[in-house]
Amino acid sequence: MNMSSEESPILILQALRKEGYLNLLLFGPYEIVMEEIFEESVKEVASTVGLKSEEISILEDADRAAEELLASEFERYVTRKYNPEIKEVLVKYNLLGAPIAREYGGRGARQIVESLMLERLGQVGLGVITLVDVHQCLGSLAVQEWGSEEQKKKYLPKAASGEILFAYGLTEPEAGSDPASLKTTYRKEGDGYRIKGSKYLISNGSVATHMIVFARSSDSGQISSFIVNTSEKGFSVEIRLEEKVGLFTSDTSMISLEDVFVPKEDMLHVEGKGMAVAYSALLNGRIGIGSGCLGVMEDCLKQAKERARNRVQHGKEIGKHQLIQRHIATIASNLEACRWLVYRAAMKKEEYDRNRSDVRLRAQADRLSAIAKYMASTLAFDSADRAMQVFGGFGYSILSPVAKHFLDTRVARIYEGTDEIMQLKIASLELGKDFEAYR
Amino acid sequence: MQLSLEGSKTINLPRERVFDLLTDTNFIASSLPDAEEVNVVDKETIDARLKVRIALVSASMKVRIKLGERERPNFGTLYVEGSGSGSNVKIASRFELLNGSTTTMKWSANVEITGVMAGLGSTILKSFADKKVTEIFDSITKAMEKTG
Repeated sequence: MNMSSEESPILILQALRKEGYLNLLLFGPYEIVMEEIFEESVKEVASTVGLKSEEISILEDADRAAEELLASEFERYVTRKYNPEIKEVLVKYNLLGAPIAREYGGRGARQIVESLMLERLGQVGLGVITLVDVHQCLGSLAVQEWGSEEQKKKYLPKAASGEILFAYGLTEPEAGSDPASLKTTYRKEGDGYRIKGSKYLISNGSVATHMIVFARSSDSGQISSFIVNTSEKGFSVEIRLEEKVGLFTSDTSMISLEDVFVPKEDMLHVEGKGMAVAYSALLNGRIGIGSGCLGVMEDCLKQAKERARNRVQHGKEIGKHQLIQRHIATIASNLEACRWLVYRAAMKKEEYDRNRSDVRLRAQADRLSAIAKYMASTLAFDSADRAMQVFGGFGYSILSPVAKHFLDTRVARIYEGTDEIMQLKIASLELGKDFEAYR
Repeated sequence: MQLSLEGSKTINLPRERVFDLLTDTNFIASSLPDAEEVNVVDKETIDARLKVRIALVSASMKVRIKLGERERPNFGTLYVEGSGSGSNVKIASRFELLNGSTTTMKWSANVEITGVMAGLGSTILKSFADKKVTEIFDSITKAMEKTG
């Protein structure tokens, strides 16, 4: 939709309506009934940038899925177990392939819709977000953005239906914040390649059917990316990491690749350009994590408000004590500050998606996604900490509704780029390439 | 902590029969799920000890169930009050029976929870309560249909 700012508001509104966009404040009455705080987000985005009815329908499905996941996610969390229902429920509501283009079996959700969807699922917890973010942002979108037409046709419809679940194999025991130092190697053999090495702290690692694996050529030293079938001989789960601080409902594993064969048609993008795939996937992923963190803050706010209104101490509701009010005010401010930061990153990503050759837009999207992820994960952790404080002694119990967020959000400050790497990245994008601290 | 629940259920029995069973304390007593002890006090009152479990939170609650205002075969009300394991619960529920080829039962309940269980928050409690109530009504419906 192209509209110049000189066109009259009436013409713009007519154009929006013609293209199926809903502007809720002006057009009503498309009745949206969703979880209260999320509904506000949807209405806000709809009234500002417009949402099509099919986009609202994705968000209504996300709302229902989140509602349905609550009980199993909580039960699995307190018993520290992976939650297989996450995938089942997302398949049921046709959300697993939300950002995949319609021509490949998905629902074609643009980035702002994907962000809103993750925001709602984030209210349930980051365990849900981790599975979805990895499968969609790091897996499916990497194939959609970099794959050949054959790869897209082969993998994306199955990724949308849930027949395929993606993991993302970049991190290694000795290559975390410096992924370019990875040691996993590949060599050419016959009609394909053999990959050897190990991948560490891999979300969805032991439950994925396919993994985007990054490896270094044993000949040239260049890094390439591959779509690896996890049932291939030589692929094995070495350890399921269960001794985590949180994120119990999400799978985290260490993977061993012992001369795993990959047919040549499953190299993703061109040889030697693996890091371009890795970094662009992380750009998507960071907006995803930031979006999920919005949901966490929303749930922290909701839970803290409820506790403050119901818990009576010193003869009055604790919400009438000013120091409790300070926590509520800070959580609300954290949320509001991050909301538009994440949406702005999402909209910039959309702009870049429409002009993929524009390197300036790519840098802007990269910068905003890093800022959004850094701020949202930091403030989600702060919000969970404050919500726990409002809950007092019961907040420290794993059974409180906010302890889960406290334990889970800590990892959001580490995975897909630590706080420190995000800050270095933001600073270097501000100062210029010569100032890249990690070079 | 307040929760509002509602739902509906179709039962393959005439409305009068459904009403009679739902207001029969002996029938209610026999279909209570997870009951550790049940004692029918009189035609309007049941005392019971129920096991309530939400994830790892398990409470043994002593409850009194009392039939309230009712009009055969249109509607009935049921009150539950109980406590145990540091939690207290009060439920005011109402059912309406609608005619058709089968009977449609529409129900609603206002639940008030205080104490330890309230700490779980209404989001989680409602999600579990919805699940539990569905289970209870499924079990009661089956029991009613068995009576013919």
